[in-house]
Amino acid sequence: MNLFDWGLVPSIIAMLVIQAGIAIAIYKGLIVRYMKQEEIIMLGLLFVAIILEQAALRFYPIQAGVYLETTMVPGLSKIGQVTVSNQLIFAAILGIVVTGLFVLFFLKTKLGLAVRAVSYDINSSRLMGIQVERVFMFIMVLVLIPVILATLAIAPIWAVEPSMGWGYMIIAILVSVLGGLGNIKGTIIASYIIGFCHSVVGFVIAQPQFTGLSALIVVLIVLIVRPQGIAKSETVW
Amino acid sequence: MEFEVKRDRLVLRAGGGKWEWHIEPRYWRNPLIYIGILIIAPLVVYFVYRPLLPTIIEANVLAAIAIPLALMTIGTGRLNFGPQFYIGIGGYAAALLSIHYHLSPGLTLLAAALGGLLFGFIMSPISIIAGGLYYSLLTLLFPLLFLEITFIYTDLFKGDTGLAGIAPLVSVGSFSLNLLIYAFISLAMMLIYLFIIDKVLRSRYAVQMAAINDDEEVANSIGVNVNKVKIVSFTIAAMMIAVIGWFYAHYYGTFSGQTFLPLSFMLKIFMVTMIGGRMQIYGCVLGGYFIAFLELILIRTTGDMSSLLLPIILLILLIVLREGLLGLYRKRRYREYLPTLHVRR
Amino acid sequence: MAELLKVTNVSKHFGGLTAVNDVSFSINEGETVGLMGPNGAGKTTLVNMICGSYSADSGKIEFMGKDITRLPPWKRCKLGICRTYQIPRPFPELTAMGSVVVSALHGKDRPNRSFEDAYTEATLYLEFVGLFSKRNVLARDLTLFEMRGLELARALATEPKLIFVDEVMAGLNPAEAEKAVRLIERAKDQFGVTVLWIEHVMAVLMRAAHRVIVLHYGEKIAEGLPQEVANNPMVIESYLGKS
Repeated sequence: MNLFDWGLVPSIIAMLVIQAGIAIAIYKGLIVRYMKQEEIIMLGLLFVAIILEQAALRFYPIQAGVYLETTMVPGLSKIGQVTVSNQLIFAAILGIVVTGLFVLFFLKTKLGLAVRAVSYDINSSRLMGIQVERVFMFIMVLVLIPVILATLAIAPIWAVEPSMGWGYMIIAILVSVLGGLGNIKGTIIASYIIGFCHSVVGFVIAQPQFTGLSALIVVLIVLIVRPQGIAKSETVW
Repeated sequence: MEFEVKRDRLVLRAGGGKWEWHIEPRYWRNPLIYIGILIIAPLVVYFVYRPLLPTIIEANVLAAIAIPLALMTIGTGRLNFGPQFYIGIGGYAAALLSIHYHLSPGLTLLAAALGGLLFGFIMSPISIIAGGLYYSLLTLLFPLLFLEITFIYTDLFKGDTGLAGIAPLVSVGSFSLNLLIYAFISLAMMLIYLFIIDKVLRSRYAVQMAAINDDEEVANSIGVNVNKVKIVSFTIAAMMIAVIGWFYAHYYGTFSGQTFLPLSFMLKIFMVTMIGGRMQIYGCVLGGYFIAFLELILIRTTGDMSSLLLPIILLILLIVLREGLLGLYRKRRYREYLPTLHVRR
Repeated sequence: MAELLKVTNVSKHFGGLTAVNDVSFSINEGETVGLMGPNGAGKTTLVNMICGSYSADSGKIEFMGKDITRLPPWKRCKLGICRTYQIPRPFPELTAMGSVVVSALHGKDRPNRSFEDAYTEATLYLEFVGLFSKRNVLARDLTLFEMRGLELARALATEPKLIFVDEVMAGLNPAEAEKAVRLIERAKDQFGVTVLWIEHVMAVLMRAAHRVIVLHYGEKIAEGLPQEVANNPMVIESYLGKS
């Protein structure tokens, strides 16, 4: 944004396009070739994450910091005894709305049905006429949207820096392992569980530095009891 | 327990079991040549161009981390994405004991090995509970959370800056002679690990591991105690990696989680395993030297940009070389079977 | 004849579906028992429970007088129970020799047996099923009949007392089917195993089995000599439907 001196909205759109481009490049370069060898995909994706972080470090060194003026809802408000910034409330509502839209998408639309079918069985989906490659590419781009929205909503509160990704990665991994990989119902439940776990540890027990560790312990305990996570099956819904 | 030396084999009988090792000198020629090269290299470098010594040490150590990782992977049947966790354990154990209690390096070695054994044993059930991808993701997390712990308890672990003032392993006065001795120590460690794990991977335990890798349920029903194999290979590999952490601590004199626990180090280790052919232990030696020298060249030529260029080059290598560098050679010559690795869902 | 296996009132439920409901039977040493039933009757689930892949929800399983209901599968194998699989599950990355070596090494605890000795024993079993010439072929490259033979060799190498043979005939042409039946009969003679044979093909069980048990919807509906069972109206109805 600073580089080209664009306004807020065009740079958001440009960022969407660039990220979609990177996602499709990752898909075509890495994932398609190594579908059967998942370990190489994981390693490659981690490499991409590090490369992007290093690239961001080149342009925005940590000392300078970046402050995005994307505060959409300024001001504070009081809920009961607690003062909360409006931006956070807006972010929470946005999160719920986006999740709801996703669930609707998977349940009601034809494309969502195609995605669910592919998650059950790739070969049968091909036989039914679903273009699996296109569906994969679509999913790669689709998953960017909630992440971008969440980052935009949160960015004014917590600064943007190149190594901000790892903290979110820890939370994302814990949530998806707890909720059963790739299962939306389980993941929604799991995200609330971990969210409450974080809040309890952070505010009630008042030891905020232990949030990550406590979430890990919760996940491990649940995994011992039920090894596949909360989900009922290894499919999208 | 009795030990017999027959004409072409050694036989050990103990506790109802029988172990045999064939002695076939005709197969010793190539390994001896390679070991000879590896031993002569530090000497040559010492007399010709000393600044390369740290790179050789780094190469040996990287290979020595990758070799137990291969054992862990083949034994548990899953890919552990956080081997550097045990380096942290070994390194911090050695560092803390050396600084606060002034224990000699020999004792800290024992402590690091015990720490690795203990933590390996505690964490090994995860390889039983969690299936392929879950296991990889969870083990990915453990080092990062360990790093968080070192930041939480900063007064103990000295989070950012790391612990300093660890007693060195050797000090004979001359700095470069020290480096030479370190080079031989690291080479000895790597060769010992290589020898042990090679013998394991040619034994009955390897066939067990291969069966588990291929089909766990069937292996269970023909009498293989799957859980025991997983726990044992995980624990022993963890102990071996913790010893490398001990070496890092005493070699550098400082130890900081920030250097070893984040993902960049893990990716380096994995590229070491991947370059020599996926999880082939001889390839790890090649991979270790390749990565260490690649990093050296990048730092010397591009300086600051190396931290960006190195991951890019490694990513390209990962994508392009399906079997690693050694695979290009192996495609021409058939090699003996060694258990392969799968990461299943 | 000693009683080898005694199964008492075992049941297995999967969610709301009852796969096996209160089945009891016993097998004596040296017998060949056939297990029949239409698809979905619960035959494979029953065998899975006896071998240990599933745990029984209720009931008791005794092998040679010892209660094995809660033992893990590998311990049951060391006691002497083994099975083959209906859809062959070889170890894809191991050679035929390697697969049999694994079971020879781990199937039964015998002292003083090294890796090399296991190779020698594996040779014996491979030669028995006729796969010795293919011993260095990867297991996934074998034909269906050879894979079935490999399954049998692998099961026999664990030196079982009781072996479950799961639908050996499926997918074989008549010549191969004949060879398979004779192979199992020879295995009985040479190695002295007791066989529980799950099969659809009546003719085989008529000829080879001493006794037949029939399952339908998870329950045992008939048991007895093959002739009796073949004429049992309930069995005919379960296979052919009501007339």
